[in-house]
Amino acid sequence: MSGTTIKGDIQAALTNESLRRALGRFADAYLDSREAAYQKKDFSALREEIAALKSQAAGRMEELAGQFADEATRHGAIVFRAETAGQAREYILNLAREQGIKTIVKSKSMASEEIHLNKCLAEAGMDVVETDLGEWIIQLCGQRPSHMVLPAIHMTRGEVAGVFSRETREDLPPDIPRLVKVARENLRQKFLKAEMGITGANIAVAETGTLVMVTNEGNGRLTTTLPPLHVAIVGLEKLVARFSDVAPILEALPRSATSQQLTSYVTMLTGPAPAVDAFNTPVQKEMHIVLLDNGRTEMQRDYVFKEALQCIRCASCLNVCPVFQLVGGHVFGHVYTGGIGTILTAFFNGMENAAEIQTLCLGCERCKDFCPAKINLPRLISKLRTRVTREKGLPLTQRLVLKNVLTNRQLFHALLRAVSAAQKPFVKEGTMRHLPFFLAGQAGVKNLPAIAKEPLRDRFKKNGGREAERNALRTGLFAGCLSDFIYPEIGTSMVKVLEHVGFEVVFPQGQTCCGYPARQLGAPEVMADVARQNLEAFESAGVDYILTPCPTCTHSLKNVYPELLAGDSALQVRAAAMAGKVCDFAEFVYHQGKGGLVQKPEFKPLNKKVTYHDSCHLKRSLGITVEPRELLKMVGADLVEMSFSDRCCGFGGSYSIKYHELSAHILDQKLACIQETGADLVAVECPGCLMQLRKGLADRGQGAPEAKFLAEILADQL
Amino acid sequence: MRAKTEKVDGEAQTLYEAFKLNAEAVSARVDRAADSLEAAFKVTEIVRQVGAKKVVAEPSPLVDSLGLDALWNESGPSLHRGNLRLHAPDAEVGISGLDLAIVETGTLVQDATCIGGRLVSMLPPVHVALVRTDRIVATLRVALDRYSGNLNGLPPYLAFISGPSRTADIERVLTIGVHGPGELRIIFIDRPGVEAV
Repeated sequence: MSGTTIKGDIQAALTNESLRRALGRFADAYLDSREAAYQKKDFSALREEIAALKSQAAGRMEELAGQFADEATRHGAIVFRAETAGQAREYILNLAREQGIKTIVKSKSMASEEIHLNKCLAEAGMDVVETDLGEWIIQLCGQRPSHMVLPAIHMTRGEVAGVFSRETREDLPPDIPRLVKVARENLRQKFLKAEMGITGANIAVAETGTLVMVTNEGNGRLTTTLPPLHVAIVGLEKLVARFSDVAPILEALPRSATSQQLTSYVTMLTGPAPAVDAFNTPVQKEMHIVLLDNGRTEMQRDYVFKEALQCIRCASCLNVCPVFQLVGGHVFGHVYTGGIGTILTAFFNGMENAAEIQTLCLGCERCKDFCPAKINLPRLISKLRTRVTREKGLPLTQRLVLKNVLTNRQLFHALLRAVSAAQKPFVKEGTMRHLPFFLAGQAGVKNLPAIAKEPLRDRFKKNGGREAERNALRTGLFAGCLSDFIYPEIGTSMVKVLEHVGFEVVFPQGQTCCGYPARQLGAPEVMADVARQNLEAFESAGVDYILTPCPTCTHSLKNVYPELLAGDSALQVRAAAMAGKVCDFAEFVYHQGKGGLVQKPEFKPLNKKVTYHDSCHLKRSLGITVEPRELLKMVGADLVEMSFSDRCCGFGGSYSIKYHELSAHILDQKLACIQETGADLVAVECPGCLMQLRKGLADRGQGAPEAKFLAEILADQL
Repeated sequence: MRAKTEKVDGEAQTLYEAFKLNAEAVSARVDRAADSLEAAFKVTEIVRQVGAKKVVAEPSPLVDSLGLDALWNESGPSLHRGNLRLHAPDAEVGISGLDLAIVETGTLVQDATCIGGRLVSMLPPVHVALVRTDRIVATLRVALDRYSGNLNGLPPYLAFISGPSRTADIERVLTIGVHGPGELRIIFIDRPGVEAV
């Protein structure tokens, strides 16, 4: 798929009002209903349990497949191991041909979608009917599922009425109970006549040869009961070792997928159960289980992506994704959609198919908090990006910039300064219409901030190191590019607050970009290079703490560097030592103040209504949500919470440039939540969010609240 | 001895109340009968409310204990207890006996290996489920544990039913009664008749 196609698909999705309304409503409602479903469960303990049992099962996949096959066979099932989608299709087609099958009913199975089974059976002249309501709808209109749990979530009742009217040759109104009844009546006839039933499975228990199916409509039960021939298509990732592994998955899957305590029906099949034919004559039930590999073993052998086999297909990563919420599933171009779909597509359809869709990830990391199998999806997508980049290579300009400019601090900073001089004619009230910035260069991007006349590092040089108080602890400021070159006032505010409470602040001049954007673009080696430079800069400064105004920088220094430099044990030790000193500004000020280690700051009361935006990396990579709010209360702000305070603002670094329209839509949702509070000020603790919110608020004109960095709010009240 | 019975009754009452709450939250309707005779009257009342002319019931000790054939004789609806593949598709009510009830999720568990139990609980629009009151367990895990002791003897078809059939596939609007029954009526029986399990 080419870049222009995906951008075209996004454009089409963004202009589809009914799609956006449907997805938006769902995303909002999902959070509350899911939380209610988990009310009496300890989600974090449960997901530890699932992650452990699924990762062990993934580690023993081949062994468990063998054990499952033996047990299921012992109970009378016939097990076929399909290495490829083609083999699975061929087996089922041959089976149907041998038995002269003409009519087939199917209950929902993503594995059957994955191998495009319907098309193959239909071409052989068989009548194959999807019986899950959502699947039937999309089958009738020849589409792919857009969501793995709710396949037709992209369609309105009006569209469904149109589809059903064509099918039944009746004029059906857009009345949901009526449409459901039409489906019941039409499909009931299919069930009663069907000679073969095809299903998937949610869990396959190796110890007992049992298949577990989790369904709601009852079609799974009918499919496995009425036709005397049953075929189940089961991906190898569905295997678990023990029968006792079923309970935790059954506790999480319905809660995460549909916010239910349990689905209407859970069916456990251990070998074929008795059957009768259409005349009630007992017949021998035949149960065929197709164990499908199709890229799963390759995934299992991959030490990074093996983690994705833990997935229990609840789709919560889709439901909380700010991008999915806007564009839906079809933009992803394949059967599996959303974050996890990106990884699955890479393995089931080939890496080249995921090259483009992986760029849709904003990196907000929200999905990570919701995954009941504890898959670190943002990390996997970032690793996928690295691989794609390694295979495809970066565009020439990006490669040149990253390899030659970003790793050469003096050149990088000289360029930024040159930009500061060159942009002068374009700057208007601190923002510019056209950014002559080498990373940008897309139309439609406006209200971008200008590069500061005097970067933060120079302000430090000019003032010299202030005379430190005797015994004062020394903090080193890691500014990050945005605070250094675009918002130096953030840094000066931090210094003002820190010095006020009695710390010495130094600015090691050897520091440079944290390198995170390079990793996001798929060049971790560039990040490793700048990591070494930053390590040296801060080691020689002899600081007790390292504070940064940017949560992405904090996350890089604290969490990414030690992992990135793990290949070199000496470097790793140094990186770990540095990581131990790194702290977010709000976290530091709040806890130092609370611990009584520093003098209590005296603030002039801020008599303003303030709302706080949780930045993605601050909340999800660093777990900081309380401290900034407490500090705001300390300065006397009237703190009002916005809805969905932790939903991404849509910045995502270069994402806001590559997908600026998508980013702008996400921003619009954020701004609506902010304005709903009636706050005068929105406080943030991330320069990226600040840039994004200011850009949006400037467009909203007079009366829109002002976006301000937390450190600035504090410094202004001193 | 008497005190012990009362305590057991008290526990049963607590479990029953908790189950009822959770099962009704998933749109089932729950009732309780002291014995099989009372249960038979309750079933008859449901059949009357539905206006059913044709009822199917699986052959099971719990269903047998109700003695519906005798109770309904010629005046009641036609009751079919055999040839279920032919009779269940156009019956208005299906009656079956279930093995366990789970408080936590409002779920019923059934060894559905016999196809009759499946046909009567899937095809008619109303499913009447009979369960012994002393078969209520607290959680899904406890229910599953009952089967872990004898994994070799796992029923080929083990069914868990929580409320009637449902869907939210069109615009996420919850709609009850898709392919399975639109009504699930659960009747607990404290003391099933002598023929019972």
